Amino acid sequence: MKAKAPLNCYFNHERIVPAVFLVLSFLAWQISGLTGSFVLNQVITRFIRDGLLVLALIIPVVAGMGLNFSITVGAMAIQTSLLLVIAYNIEGVPGILLVMVIGIFLSVLLGYVLGRILNRVKGKEMITTIIIGFFVNSIYQLIFLVGFGTVIPVFNQEIILTRGIGVRNTVDLGMYRNTIDKLWLFSIGEIQIPLFMILIVLLFAGGIYYILHTRFGRQVQAVGSAAETCAVLGIDTDRVRIKVMILSTVLAALGQFIYLQNIGMFDVYTAHLNTGIISCAALLAGGASIKSAKVRQALLGIFLFHTLFIVSPQAGQHLFRNAALGEYFRSFVAYGTIALALIVNVGNENRPIQRK
Amino acid sequence: MENILQISHLNKSYNGIPALKNVNLSVRAGEIHGLVGANGSGKTTLMNILFGQPVIHETGGYQGEIAFAGRRIEFKNCSQAISCGIGMVHQEFALIPDLTVAENIKLGREHTLAFTDRLLGRQFSYIDNRHDRASSLQALRKLGIELDPDIKIMDLSINLKQFVEIAREIDRTDLRLLILDEPTAVLSQDNSWMLLEILREMSGRGIGILFISHRLEEIQAVCDRVSVLRDGELVARYEKNHIHINQLARDMIGHSVIKAAAGKRKIEARPLITFRKFSVAMPGEEIKNLDLNVYEGEIIGLTSLPGHGKLALGYGMMGLYPVAGEVWFNNERIVRMDAMDNIVKGIYALPDDRQGLGILADQSLENNIVFTANQAKNMFSRSSLFPFLSMLDHRRTVPHVEKMVQDFDIKCASFKQKVRELSGGNQQKVCIARALTAEPRLLFVAEPTRGVDISAREKILSMLIEINRTRNMTIVFASSELDELQRVCDRIAVMVQGKIFKILSPDSPEVDFALALSGETGMDDDV
Repeated sequence: MKAKAPLNCYFNHERIVPAVFLVLSFLAWQISGLTGSFVLNQVITRFIRDGLLVLALIIPVVAGMGLNFSITVGAMAIQTSLLLVIAYNIEGVPGILLVMVIGIFLSVLLGYVLGRILNRVKGKEMITTIIIGFFVNSIYQLIFLVGFGTVIPVFNQEIILTRGIGVRNTVDLGMYRNTIDKLWLFSIGEIQIPLFMILIVLLFAGGIYYILHTRFGRQVQAVGSAAETCAVLGIDTDRVRIKVMILSTVLAALGQFIYLQNIGMFDVYTAHLNTGIISCAALLAGGASIKSAKVRQALLGIFLFHTLFIVSPQAGQHLFRNAALGEYFRSFVAYGTIALALIVNVGNENRPIQRK
Repeated sequence: MENILQISHLNKSYNGIPALKNVNLSVRAGEIHGLVGANGSGKTTLMNILFGQPVIHETGGYQGEIAFAGRRIEFKNCSQAISCGIGMVHQEFALIPDLTVAENIKLGREHTLAFTDRLLGRQFSYIDNRHDRASSLQALRKLGIELDPDIKIMDLSINLKQFVEIAREIDRTDLRLLILDEPTAVLSQDNSWMLLEILREMSGRGIGILFISHRLEEIQAVCDRVSVLRDGELVARYEKNHIHINQLARDMIGHSVIKAAAGKRKIEARPLITFRKFSVAMPGEEIKNLDLNVYEGEIIGLTSLPGHGKLALGYGMMGLYPVAGEVWFNNERIVRMDAMDNIVKGIYALPDDRQGLGILADQSLENNIVFTANQAKNMFSRSSLFPFLSMLDHRRTVPHVEKMVQDFDIKCASFKQKVRELSGGNQQKVCIARALTAEPRLLFVAEPTRGVDISAREKILSMLIEINRTRNMTIVFASSELDELQRVCDRIAVMVQGKIFKILSPDSPEVDFALALSGETGMDDDV
């Protein structure tokens, strides 16, 4: 046992998973034949798009609630608010602010409800968040397929289907595009660096780090480690967990907003569907697990995961002369990462704890 | 001195079973008040009430009045108790395994940067780790130990955990009443005395201390007053200088009425099973280098304080925890602890965790009784080409189950009833019936009467005696109920810290047992 201990220190999933991703990305990049600057530009764009969504996952993991797949709920909250604001034709910066306000309000509400629900299913949070994500999705689709134009009056005919009821598949966000993305943008050679947005993501990363080092953060850690003991120590476990879910949902909402405005248009019915899976996979790629996650793992994970994500279709095309294979490889990477993380964690859990 | 804590006419019952009956107790500011009592005497319930454990509120609260510092209190959760200035050192440690020593000691009272305190409020102000580390080091030093405050709790040994648990309370400046539940159980003699010194010093500062210990010697040395609980009642109280260990031991156990009892006899047979330097790594209940002979045909009792290893022997034999050392069964060495192999050899272990490991809760009574025997020895299957594919033969199971139900008086609606629906006592009878069906030669039972009402308890005990006498089944009976062991066993082994401390005859005076349990040899000052 003693001889093994140092080995475990160096060869645990915290290091192995990122290392594997690094090697795979490098190989795939070599095969794909893409230029380094192209890949880097893409990764920076995705770092901005996905940053907050991945960061939103950290606190629930620390609180022992596992991967919060229901960040899709936060995404739907901001999309709802976005559609409402577009429906009333409010443009520019006031529009953005209004979207934020309504979105945060909705996601606080939904986060509270999620927290209450998850307090009833302790130990089965992950599967619950997945199913809740699907369930809320169907409500969301109902609202925008049937509700818009009937119950909810719409003053912007552009987003409505020609029959007058229901929102179009794709809504253009032209009126918000390039408002914040292009702030402080400069280039180094072929690489474009939108400094403002990078700073925003880093600011939120710092915020998460800060929260984890406050009294509240300590409580979150304690709840994640030994929830029963916390009651004896005077910590209200349920309240902490609710606050965690609210925080996570709000962050996810803001993250989805950055994501959508960066893309410049959004698929009303599908834009949020993959946020949960992709973000979780990115976090895990950085070496996090369903039991522990750190801010630096999130940041590293976004880079590694998206690098592989960008180069793998091209690599597939070059290797097999078939782009579809590369697309297949993307989902293989995403789901494979999550499955691996789950297996590694459950395996660790079952091992008897004898560390004297 | 004024009373910091005043408990009057306290009554508490769980589902109609009284746990505390009319308890009156007071703790003065600056006093060390000892509280002793056997297992199940209501000490834990009393602690839970004082510290506002939610379990009390959830099971219907309590009757009576508790005044703290002159104010009537009724806590609904522990944080209310903590904010009133009550501290508790828990026997099972209220420590967070993933946090470090310093983080645990300062949890809820962290030093924060004053600047962020003003900016973002208490909850969201940044923790000053350096400050925390320094002050937790100070608290640990007071206890006389040097410990790196950055080690995680889960990497600590059990006695270091105990120190951290105590340090957390010592570090509090708002403390007015400190409750200590068996704080010295896992400490060495020297460390214990050091702790007692600190308690004296704390009481000198006007903190009231309620000190629970099984080590009567410590109680005698340090307490200003001591109260004795027995079966939920306060039976005696002594002032300092009138505390005598033997008297306390007698008060704790009281006079019990002998009920189901085995005849006395002397077993001089060959050893059926021999343990040599046997260790079981069951967390919190370790056995270390145990040497024991169990003779054929005897009932041997195993007893100890919680955490000293009496439960681990059966678990070790089932292979549920890693074991080391030699085991010889019937002159044959058992190399690998495998539950199925051992059952086939004739060893059966009934665990104390009846709900989790004893019964198949959602299976029928019938399946529960025949399950092991059929799995291990294929005793109830229809004959077929492939034994593992054959169906259960109800023509054989039904008469057997019928006999078991009759013999052991198992109360059930039908054989098809789910075992989950039976009462605890009947579930235990089902467990024993299943063990018997497998026809073992050696049976390990652990706490078979835990959570079982009195009549079922007597039935279970007489079952054990009967199967021992009629089937010559050797039984190793682990229990914390000394009175039961004395009635049933031929010999009683008292374990301390995972080893056999002393083997006593069941007729030995109860004082001897109390002394042996607390690890004392019995040579006493006041005899």
